[in-house]
Amino acid sequence: MIIRIETTSDVPIYTQLTNQIIEGIARGDIQYGESLPSVRAFAADLGVNMHTVNKSYHELEKKGIIKIVPKSGAIISPGEHVTNETNERILSVIKPIIAEALVLGVKKEEIQNMIFSIMEEMKER
Amino acid sequence: MAFLVFLIITLFIAVTQIVIPYLVKKTVIFGVTIPEQYMNDGAIKKLKKQYAIAVALISIVLLTGYSVWSLTTEPQEEQMAIIGMLMEFGILLISLSLYIYYHGKTKQLKIQHKWVEHLKQVKVTDLSVRKEDEMLPWYIYLLPIITTLGLMSYTIFNYDILPQQIPTHWGPSGEPDAFTEKSPLSAIQHTLLLLIMQLMFLGVHVATKNSGIKLSASNLAASKNRQLTLRKYSSWFLFFVMLACTILMSFYQLTMIHPEFAAGSIKIILPFAFLFIVLAGSLIFALKVGRSDKKIEGTIDEKIMEVDEDQYWKGGMFYFNKNDPSIFVEKRFGVGWTINFANPVGYLIVFVPLIIIIIISFVMGG
Repeated sequence: MIIRIETTSDVPIYTQLTNQIIEGIARGDIQYGESLPSVRAFAADLGVNMHTVNKSYHELEKKGIIKIVPKSGAIISPGEHVTNETNERILSVIKPIIAEALVLGVKKEEIQNMIFSIMEEMKER
Repeated sequence: MAFLVFLIITLFIAVTQIVIPYLVKKTVIFGVTIPEQYMNDGAIKKLKKQYAIAVALISIVLLTGYSVWSLTTEPQEEQMAIIGMLMEFGILLISLSLYIYYHGKTKQLKIQHKWVEHLKQVKVTDLSVRKEDEMLPWYIYLLPIITTLGLMSYTIFNYDILPQQIPTHWGPSGEPDAFTEKSPLSAIQHTLLLLIMQLMFLGVHVATKNSGIKLSASNLAASKNRQLTLRKYSSWFLFFVMLACTILMSFYQLTMIHPEFAAGSIKIILPFAFLFIVLAGSLIFALKVGRSDKKIEGTIDEKIMEVDEDQYWKGGMFYFNKNDPSIFVEKRFGVGWTINFANPVGYLIVFVPLIIIIIISFVMGG
């Protein structure tokens, strides 16, 4: 899977990393049970600070998307079932964005189309 | 003989200096990052050509002068060596000055034409690229190291039959011409130097393996092929040189213990054979790596470029980037690697063994 980082973007590099890894999993580019590169190798290949990669891995771990196992590295292993907290967290992230779109004049149908096209790219577990 | 050796080495140096602009990573022109979209610009092609012609002309003049001088006045070997050496340094120095000149010119072009201003800089990596890395495994380097340890113990076991004077330097005829008093340390000094060198090679290999595989956002396929080729053939070349050194040093050590071991001609041939195969090896290495990214056309996205890292390259030659955990990175002018000066581990691997080798040589030589 290819990771692309925009160095001049306002989005911090570790967030870009986190988002792309999650998208990669959702698209099926990285499979469950596979491991991510070591922090050192990943940082060296991208030419970024090791703390940046470390921060992203910890964020992924906190979200429950990877498990960091000493010696074997970061393994893709999301939790077994969706909890209420997960649902609430996701809702709270989507809500302001949809509100913003509506306020800016995007039609409800267009928003639905956007969501559908994203869903097309990705798959359910 | 000395004439021929200097002629071949100088010719080798000249040819490599001439072709460097055509063997380096294609988006780096005279140590300056140029976006893929503009690297075939007429002005840039002209600079490369001017550099190559200038180095070629100067080399031809120097080599012709040297040949005429050597063949007509028949100077002594020593004179020939000194002048030959000066000529080699001369070519290196001249091509370096030309490089610095064209580095400045390229930088000017880049600013004048605003080649990077409207492009978005993107860093890129492939999560599975490490699985395609074909560098030799590190433990293969243990083989020559074990050989050296064996040779050391063999020397110590045979300490009694060693000559009272231990040779420290060999002349062009293959016969030793400088000696030092026999002692347990002087008996194994050459094997000790060899061992330190081998450990340094092993360190360089491990550091290279841990260094980044740098891909380019504007031409993923070409940059990937080049990086993987560079890594694979550097590890092969390193191992090959290490083997050649081990064979050469073991030969001298065994000849010292058993003088009857070496027949006359092999003593003369071996160092030249060594020189020849190392030169041939580096030529093959440079060509293999140099061509690895030239045939692959990328689909150029008009709006992006690889990250412009010029700010980390002092003078286009010395890499200082403390965010990059890589110990070695690909050279910008030349084929091979250079050290990340902002990473102290690099100094440890490269300079410490060299300093130890120099100290041992001085102490033992005196």
